[in-house]
Amino acid sequence: MTDQAVAGRRLAKQDNRLSDEMFITSLVAGAAVALFLLASILVPNFFQFQNVVNLVTNNWAVISLGVGVTFLLVSGNFDLSVGGIVALSGVLAVWFAQATDGANALSSGWGMPTWLAMVCALIGAMSIGAVNAAFVVALRVPSIIVTLGTMMLARGIAQVVTQGSQRNTNLPADFGTLGNMTMFGTSIKLPVVLMATLIFVAVFVERKTVFGRLTYLIGANPVASRLSGVDNARHVVKLYLFSAVMAGVVGILLASEFKSGFSNRGTLMEFDALVISLLGGVAIAGGFGSVIGMFFGAIILATVTSAATGLVLSPDWQFTLKAIAVFIAIMAQTWALARRHAG
Amino acid sequence: MIVQTAFAANAQEKALSIRDLTKDYPGVRAVDAVSFDIDRNTVHCLVGENGAGKSTIVKMLTGALAPTSGSMAILGRTYEPDSTQDARESGVGTLFQELHVVDQLTVLENLTLGMEASRFGFLVKSDLEGRVVKTLAAIEPTIDPKARVSSLSVAQKQIVEIARAASSGASIIIMDEPTAALSEREVERLFGVIRRLRDSDVTVIYISHKLDEIFELGDNVTVMRDGKHIATKPLADVNGRPELIEMMVGRAITHDYEPRGDIADNPVLTVKGLTNHLLKDVSFHVKGGEIVGFYGLVGAGKTEVARAIYGADKADGQIDFKGRKRAASPKEAIAAGIALVPEERRTQGLFTELAIRRNIPIMNIRKLASFGVFQDEREKEVAREYVGKLGIATNSIEKYAEKLSGGNQQKVVLSKCLFADADMLLLDEPTRGVDVGAKSEIYDLIRDLANNGRAICIFSSELEEVLGICDRVFLMYDGRIQAEIKNGTEVDIPHILNVVTGGGGENK
Repeated sequence: MTDQAVAGRRLAKQDNRLSDEMFITSLVAGAAVALFLLASILVPNFFQFQNVVNLVTNNWAVISLGVGVTFLLVSGNFDLSVGGIVALSGVLAVWFAQATDGANALSSGWGMPTWLAMVCALIGAMSIGAVNAAFVVALRVPSIIVTLGTMMLARGIAQVVTQGSQRNTNLPADFGTLGNMTMFGTSIKLPVVLMATLIFVAVFVERKTVFGRLTYLIGANPVASRLSGVDNARHVVKLYLFSAVMAGVVGILLASEFKSGFSNRGTLMEFDALVISLLGGVAIAGGFGSVIGMFFGAIILATVTSAATGLVLSPDWQFTLKAIAVFIAIMAQTWALARRHAG
Repeated sequence: MIVQTAFAANAQEKALSIRDLTKDYPGVRAVDAVSFDIDRNTVHCLVGENGAGKSTIVKMLTGALAPTSGSMAILGRTYEPDSTQDARESGVGTLFQELHVVDQLTVLENLTLGMEASRFGFLVKSDLEGRVVKTLAAIEPTIDPKARVSSLSVAQKQIVEIARAASSGASIIIMDEPTAALSEREVERLFGVIRRLRDSDVTVIYISHKLDEIFELGDNVTVMRDGKHIATKPLADVNGRPELIEMMVGRAITHDYEPRGDIADNPVLTVKGLTNHLLKDVSFHVKGGEIVGFYGLVGAGKTEVARAIYGADKADGQIDFKGRKRAASPKEAIAAGIALVPEERRTQGLFTELAIRRNIPIMNIRKLASFGVFQDEREKEVAREYVGKLGIATNSIEKYAEKLSGGNQQKVVLSKCLFADADMLLLDEPTRGVDVGAKSEIYDLIRDLANNGRAICIFSSELEEVLGICDRVFLMYDGRIQAEIKNGTEVDIPHILNVVTGGGGENK
């Protein structure tokens, strides 16, 4: 065999090594499974198939928001506005759909058919995304500040529309259909199926498409990506619009499920979405992370909190437990990556 | 005393004595057995071309680098700083190019910053303030100690930093290209400050590419070339710019330029009146198959020309590439067939934490996709192809670009441009930080590309480089093209150096 052929074979062999992203994702997935098994030993009746299903289905909203948040984080940008958008789009959908002849201000709306009300609410959500994009891209304000602002703006508008309370009367009969529809003859609801679809599509986009590649490049080195011909600005605009629309859909589905528009809905969801992304190995500085990792990050968080409730810890401990989980996860990832790079 | 016998009898009189100072890097000797003295209370200039070893000497003086061998002494006492902090305590202050003042504090607070802690009690502090105010007033009375630093100009901030060094008891202050960001009037003011410093028992080591400044300000000059000490003498004894330039360049620069015949007749790129914050009325053209060089010192505007053509920076003026209007963004430039190898390879050219194979297709990433879906296997094929073609030394295409040597990193950046199918390559400092072997491989590659009809612009601060491969060279100084020379065997090197150091020039 010639030297060149040997070298070629060696090249090919080394190429199959696990990438850092796969490594971290497997680590997070492993941690999620280990935690679940640990909880099964400690908590009576925890080890049940239905419980696994519940961990996912109870968290469909946060996981769906996590997709947009993860893409933005990978591109080097924050999105803290998603919780506010959940409230705003839900409130708007209800308001637009309420009949015009209500007894008081909170029970009369615009009288739109359900589908039109939902479309208009989505446009409202998208416009918050557009504000995010405009400030971050055109005015170059740090995204954490911009989205902190729009988080309050979105919830603020929702509060004005509901007068600080909620709208739940005088709705068309079909308003509750989408959020409560069950699928395939099981008890699984439409929003959960939509979440699963979203995850599959997002993983495909992230792994297999040019769009996914560009997201990573922009996050890894925005200067080099611009000089390499990537239109960073345009891409980040798309990501903010996408994230806002996803949050809008979540808000509308929740409004449909509860047949109400509530201005406090989705409070702290933006932080949960951020936390599960970070737990899932997404780098806060951008350029690194995955949607699958985020998904398992959500499972870790859900396991910890539900196991704690099962362990008769009072719900007051939730935040403290989340904090501990976050610290441990981030330290473990940093340590694992450093070891790997040293080796 | 043993220490003192190592130096000349009058060593106590010398602000700084350097003996046999040597610094080795792997494979290269940056400073080679340099010895010279700096007289007390003088402005001592240090000159030399890029790579002559000036900045390595400065780094050893400020404790940022340890010498491989040799010694230094201040006023006859051995000086071996092991950190910049240590150097400062030994009385060697430095005016860095990036300023280290705190904008939110007042001038006075900046001047006493870090000194309060080392002294206890209020009495000492008020004494300190008085001393500091006096120092500032002595070197620049127009700056109000109570003014907020954010309200000062860059030049005034520099002076505050000088005053801080002086009032902390520095007997030697090193200034590395201090006028790079200053206007003409501010330069005059800085010179006034430097003269007053000299008169108040401070020795100034002054490093600049601008020879006019050296003659105006300096008492003595030390010339370095290729890491070696060439001469140290009073500027009064130097016979004008020509002699200084001759010392800087020495022997004729060896260059292996060979005229190439296959240059197209019509220009592919025509630039007219390019002007922006730095550039002034830059006009030129480049033909297909031609290698054109832009030579000038740091800050002459070479990078700005490249970035303006590439659409990365805004500029007024006309740029016409193959009959197309100018590119408004790098994306448009690449689409038109222009590719840039940027000045800073690691921060602008590469994604260091991505694998080699992920770096190579970036400039033309859609070529590897069908209907938006990325073809991973095609990417690997492309990466292996370019690793082989350009001889990138690596055991895997999955290796992080970070872990490659400078030369191999640059080959990855060049692969990016080649994969983009560019007809014109803009190469900004293409061989900076690249070892000799990889350098000549890159030159061969550039010649190959030109011979295949591509137009190439090289922006370089290494004269040997532009004279080695370019067919024509534009000399830049102060944002302008000062002269154009045709490369050949008869190149007037002193003339070139005169032009790029501000000696004026006309087309030759």
